[in-house]
Amino acid sequence: MQVLIDLLKRNRFWVLGAVAATLLSNLSQMFYTVCVGDLVNKIESRSFIGLPFLGLLGILIISNAATQFLNQYVGRYAAEKMAHSLRVGYARRLLWKATQDGKSCDTASAMSIAQNEIANAGAYLGNQFFDIAGMLFMGILVSVFLFIQNVFLTIVIIVPTVMILAYSMFSGRVLSDSAAAALEEKEHMNKVAYAACHAFSSIKIFDGEELCKNAYEIKLTEWEKSAKRMGRRYALYNTLSGIMSRVPLLLLLAVGAYMVLDGQMLLGTLIVFLNLQKSLTQAIMNMPSWLAGFKVFTTNLSRVEMM
Amino acid sequence: MIELSNVSFAYEKQTVFRDLSLKIEKGQKVGIVGESGCGKSTLLSLIAGLYSPTSGKVCVDGEIDPERISRKVSVVMQSPMLLPLTIWENITMGHDYPKERVLKVCEDVNLKKWIDALPDGLQTYLGDHADELSGGQAQRIAIARAMCKDAEILLLDEPTSALDKENNAFVLDALERYVTEKTVVHVTHRPEQLRGYDRVLFMQAGGLK
Repeated sequence: MQVLIDLLKRNRFWVLGAVAATLLSNLSQMFYTVCVGDLVNKIESRSFIGLPFLGLLGILIISNAATQFLNQYVGRYAAEKMAHSLRVGYARRLLWKATQDGKSCDTASAMSIAQNEIANAGAYLGNQFFDIAGMLFMGILVSVFLFIQNVFLTIVIIVPTVMILAYSMFSGRVLSDSAAAALEEKEHMNKVAYAACHAFSSIKIFDGEELCKNAYEIKLTEWEKSAKRMGRRYALYNTLSGIMSRVPLLLLLAVGAYMVLDGQMLLGTLIVFLNLQKSLTQAIMNMPSWLAGFKVFTTNLSRVEMM
Repeated sequence: MIELSNVSFAYEKQTVFRDLSLKIEKGQKVGIVGESGCGKSTLLSLIAGLYSPTSGKVCVDGEIDPERISRKVSVVMQSPMLLPLTIWENITMGHDYPKERVLKVCEDVNLKKWIDALPDGLQTYLGDHADELSGGQAQRIAIARAMCKDAEILLLDEPTSALDKENNAFVLDALERYVTEKTVVHVTHRPEQLRGYDRVLFMQAGGLK
C-alpha cells in the first residue's frame, strides 16, 4: 500500500487532475440526464420550454462529450505516469541499494525478477485503476441522488441487484468447482496416457496392455461424465443469470410506470431512473471483481516493495 | 538359454554394435559392464524382445519372435515405470495372480510393512501420490512386479543407479534372494554389484569381451 501512496504523491498533480476530470464527467452526465428528465416533465405538463433551458441542454451535451474526453485523456495520462514512476522508481531503488551494499548491480536481471509484478501492476494502473474509481464514484453519486429522488424506487433497483449478486457468487463457486472437477478428471486421463507411453517397455514385457487400455477407458468415461455435468450446469446457471439480470430493469419499469400512471411520480423522473440505474447496478454487480482485482494489484505492489 | 548370433543393431544411421554373438546357459548369472552409451541397455532391450536386430538372430528359450520373447522374461529397469493405478495393479499388471503370491512377493522385497500401514493397503491409488514414494519404494514395487511374473529369465538394467546407499542395499538384498534359480543378465556400471556372478563381460566399441 505504501508504494501506491508514494506513486499517488509523486504524481499528485496528474492524479488530482484525473480525479477532478472524473468528478466533472460524472456530474456532467448526471446533470444531463436530470435535464432530459426535466424536459420530458415539461413536455408532459405542456409547460413553456424557454431558450435558456434548451441552451443549457445544449451546453450539457457539449460538456458531457468534452468532460468524457478529458476524463479519458487525463485519466490515461495519470495512469501511465504512475506506471512509469513504478518502473523507474524500482530501477532507481535497485541502483541505490547496490551502491549502499557495495555490490555491482545488474539492473536488467534484477528488473526481470520483478517483471511480472511490475507488468501486472502497470497494466492495472493503465487500464483499470481510474476507470474503476470513476465507475465506483458514479455508483455512489447515483445511489445518493436516486435515494433523494425516490427512496422506494431506488430500493426496487438495489434489492434484486443484491440478490443477483449473491446468486452470481453462489453460481460462480458451483461452476468453478465443476470446472475444477472436469479438469482433474482430464489430468487423471492424461496421466494414464502419458504413463502408458513412458512405461511402454514395462507394459509390453509384463503384458499390461489390457490393464492400460481399461484404465484409460475408465478415466475417459469419468472425464466425459464430468465435462457433461459441467456443460449442463453452465447452461442452467448462465441461463438463469441472464434471465435474472433483466429483473431490476423490468421491476423498475413496472413499478415506475405504475407510479407515473398513479400520479405519484412524473415521467421525466422515471426516465432519469431508467438512465441512471445502470450505473448503480453496474457498481453493485462488479464490486466483488473490483475488490479482487484491487487485491491482486496491491499484492503485486507489495511484492515489488519487498524485492 | 539366451543366444545372440551375429547380431547387429543400429538406431537410424548410428550403429550400436555389429556381429555380436553371446550365449548364456540356463541358470547362469552374467554381468555386463561398460561406460555410459556403449550399448548395454540396447543389448538388454534386444534380449527382452523390445527391439528386433538389424541383422542376426536373437533366440530366448527357443523363441525368436520378439512378441513371444517378451513373455519369457522379466525386467527391472533403472526407472521403475510405475503406472497411475493402485499398488496391486502395478504389481500384477492386470493379471489374475493369487493374493497370497502378491503378499509373499511384497514381503520378500520388504514392502509389506509399508503397505500394511496404508489405509487402503494394496488398493492404494498411486496416481496422485507417485511423487511421494521414495526411489527405493518405487523400485521395490518394480521388483515385486518382476517377481510376481516369475519368469525364468530376469534382466536387470542398472536397477539401483538412481538410489541412495540405504535403498541400494534394500533392493540388492531383495534381488539376491530372488535370483537363486533364475537366468540373470545384469547390466551395470558398478562391477562391485556383480560379486558371485558366473561371468562378467565388458562392453566396449560395440563388442563384448
